[in-house]
Amino acid sequence: MPTRLLTFKNNIYARFLLKLISLFLLVFILDFIIGGLLNRFYFTQESGNLFRTTYSFEHTSEDLLVFGSSTANHDYPSEIFQKRLKLSTYNVGRDGTSIFYDYALLQSILKRYSPKIIILNFDLDEFKKTSESYDRISSLLPYYRRHPEIRPIVELKSPYEKIKLFSKIYPYNSLFFSILAGNAEFNKKRRQDYQGYVPLTKIWGESLHSTKYKYQELDSNKIKIYKAFIHDCIAARVKLYVVCAPFFVNFENRSNSVMVGENIANEYRVKYFDFSGDPSILNKPSLFADMSHLNRKGAEIYSNKIIDKIINEESQEVSSQKR
Amino acid sequence: MIFTSFNFLIFFPIVIIIFFLFPQKYRWHFLLFASYFFYINLKPVYALLLAGVTLITYIFTRLIDNPKFANHKKSLLVVNIILALLPLFFFKYYNFVNQSVFTFLDYMGIRWQLPQINFILPIGISFYTFMALGYSIDVYNEEIHAEKSFGIVALFLSFFPLVLSGPIERAPNMFPQFKGRLLFNYYKIIKGLQWILWGYFMKLVVADRIAIYVHAIFTNISNHNGKSLFVGTLLYPIQVYADLGGYSLIAIGCAKVMGIEVMQNFNRPFFATSMSEFWRRWHISLISWLTDYIYTPLAFNLRRYKIWGIVIALLLTFFLSGLWHGATITFMVWGTIQGIFLSIEALTNKRKKNFVKKYKLHQRGWYLFICSLFTYFLFAFSEIFGGATESVSQGFLVIKKIFTNFSGPIWYENPSMILISLSAIFILFFVELKTEYFPGKFSFFNNENWVVRFLSYGFLITIILLIGVFDGGQFIYFQF
Repeated sequence: MPTRLLTFKNNIYARFLLKLISLFLLVFILDFIIGGLLNRFYFTQESGNLFRTTYSFEHTSEDLLVFGSSTANHDYPSEIFQKRLKLSTYNVGRDGTSIFYDYALLQSILKRYSPKIIILNFDLDEFKKTSESYDRISSLLPYYRRHPEIRPIVELKSPYEKIKLFSKIYPYNSLFFSILAGNAEFNKKRRQDYQGYVPLTKIWGESLHSTKYKYQELDSNKIKIYKAFIHDCIAARVKLYVVCAPFFVNFENRSNSVMVGENIANEYRVKYFDFSGDPSILNKPSLFADMSHLNRKGAEIYSNKIIDKIINEESQEVSSQKR
Repeated sequence: MIFTSFNFLIFFPIVIIIFFLFPQKYRWHFLLFASYFFYINLKPVYALLLAGVTLITYIFTRLIDNPKFANHKKSLLVVNIILALLPLFFFKYYNFVNQSVFTFLDYMGIRWQLPQINFILPIGISFYTFMALGYSIDVYNEEIHAEKSFGIVALFLSFFPLVLSGPIERAPNMFPQFKGRLLFNYYKIIKGLQWILWGYFMKLVVADRIAIYVHAIFTNISNHNGKSLFVGTLLYPIQVYADLGGYSLIAIGCAKVMGIEVMQNFNRPFFATSMSEFWRRWHISLISWLTDYIYTPLAFNLRRYKIWGIVIALLLTFFLSGLWHGATITFMVWGTIQGIFLSIEALTNKRKKNFVKKYKLHQRGWYLFICSLFTYFLFAFSEIFGGATESVSQGFLVIKKIFTNFSGPIWYENPSMILISLSAIFILFFVELKTEYFPGKFSFFNNENWVVRFLSYGFLITIILLIGVFDGGQFIYFQF
């Protein structure tokens, strides 16, 4: 009786395995080529949000830097600080980020140089525990390979981040059209920035209302990173100011994030300015673009108030040193 | 562990390898172990609930099927249904009923309220409860004998691809497969993997991408104009379809890889030319369950009222369908709207058929296109109450704004988001259109040329990596 040999053709397991390996190989090649192209064009951008992030990570040399999320980016016009404090200024704030992004950025910057002053904008819900804050660490992914110092922060996103980053495309997920636009000429006129600062022009039409700030569960990771941010600034002899920007709601109580943030700043003897309930700004809806952002005019008035405080602080410090 | 989690991408291949390493006759035992491991991974205590429902179903189906208790069959079924529904009622409807009774009594001047429960709804409870009820009713109707093996019943109700969001399978389809020969079938594995891949595309690239826009619009209704709300309203059905449709395909694909055939849950619903056809293409497993166990017995009992009996049966069935989706007034409104749409179609069906036949409209592309568009609009507007908004008043605010505040630009966060969403929708609709009207033509996954097949897989995986949303939320139907 003829015996049927277990050849490759009739061995379905082997056939299946071979096809699976071939598919992995194809995906690997596609990932390598497309990911490589995206990487190249990500870092050749000349305008837009992503360009500003790369500039912040790799090219800043300014004396004064403004850190924070969208509030930082839209509420602190660089040229006003530059003019009055006579210090070159860049706004490194980026929409939708948290203290995780700020600390990663700080580490990359401190590796290159120490700015004279850093202003860290502190949001009302800065320490709020949300999964979104971890999701948004994805804005750091393109820098994971080039900046080893930010890796511990990126790995907070998920325990599998290291594995996911084997893919060359993954760091540029959802960025395809932004990268394309960042390399195109028309993008420069679309939403122009002024030394990182992006002005808002809208005027908020609503009236001010009062409410109680609801208690929020705080994220211990965020508190730890915030402390590390302050610590690293002090160690690098950077003058740090933590500032809470105006918010167009009249809160009857203070948010627990703000209270914890202020206490920690005081512990480290870092100046903490709270403008969140400043009546001279809150009473003028025309200074706001929306509830949490000032428009151009509001940003100018607000920034001048901060500068007054900084000048005051500096002069007090000088006089105490003289004494 | 959900299908889009990284854990599942590790869990599933390991399960498959061990599954096929097991001797054939013990494979279902391993599958039962894997299914409970999968479910316990979500929240261990809820596995007890699943086991409880399984035990009740097993005991009562055995009693119902026992000739000794033939005279008590009906009572046994009623007790079985009540006991099986208890956990679902407790977790899903208790607070709603409690609040409704309180409001009613308060209106009458009596203040009496039981404490509210703040448990999270066990994921999948609506799905496995319906599967359990279906099985009990099938045994009662003598369509199937009660299964002697407790393990098979447990596997049926906990089968990991289906336990979280269906499809709501039937015992007569699943039991023979679990007990039969679950062999390594090359073609089934390839087909299953193809479905899984397409399911991931639908979920990660289409549903979760659109969800970002829809969520931003519907969580801030007062700050958006009618135009943006209109766009959100039109996009929401696509989001739900890609979400549950994608989930279903992953589930069906996973089962297929193990050699188990599961019923389809969607059949390109947006090409339906009427609401009745739409409901034959949308969430098929739920609708067929409702048809078999609620609508048909109801319509039969109401047959003396002729067409009005059908109307009442339709209204009641879809009201219950709304209630199944959620213990809220919005879902009841949603279910009632579906019932009204279908009743109108039932009442006008004869005249419409004659009209279409007279002018041969069913052969005209433009007519079919307009009908599909009209059906889509009807469904999209009903979905304003079907999960898009949180309350009836919000739903009416959306409709009011669409009709009275249509000025101003359409809101979008950035142009990139719009371009990615449109590209994702285009790919989905291109494939659906091709499958609907040109089946067998321009095949990608099933092309005879292996190069085309491989490139299709490769490009789809690349697209998922490029524009998929990896930090998206859970599947919409987990809340039901």
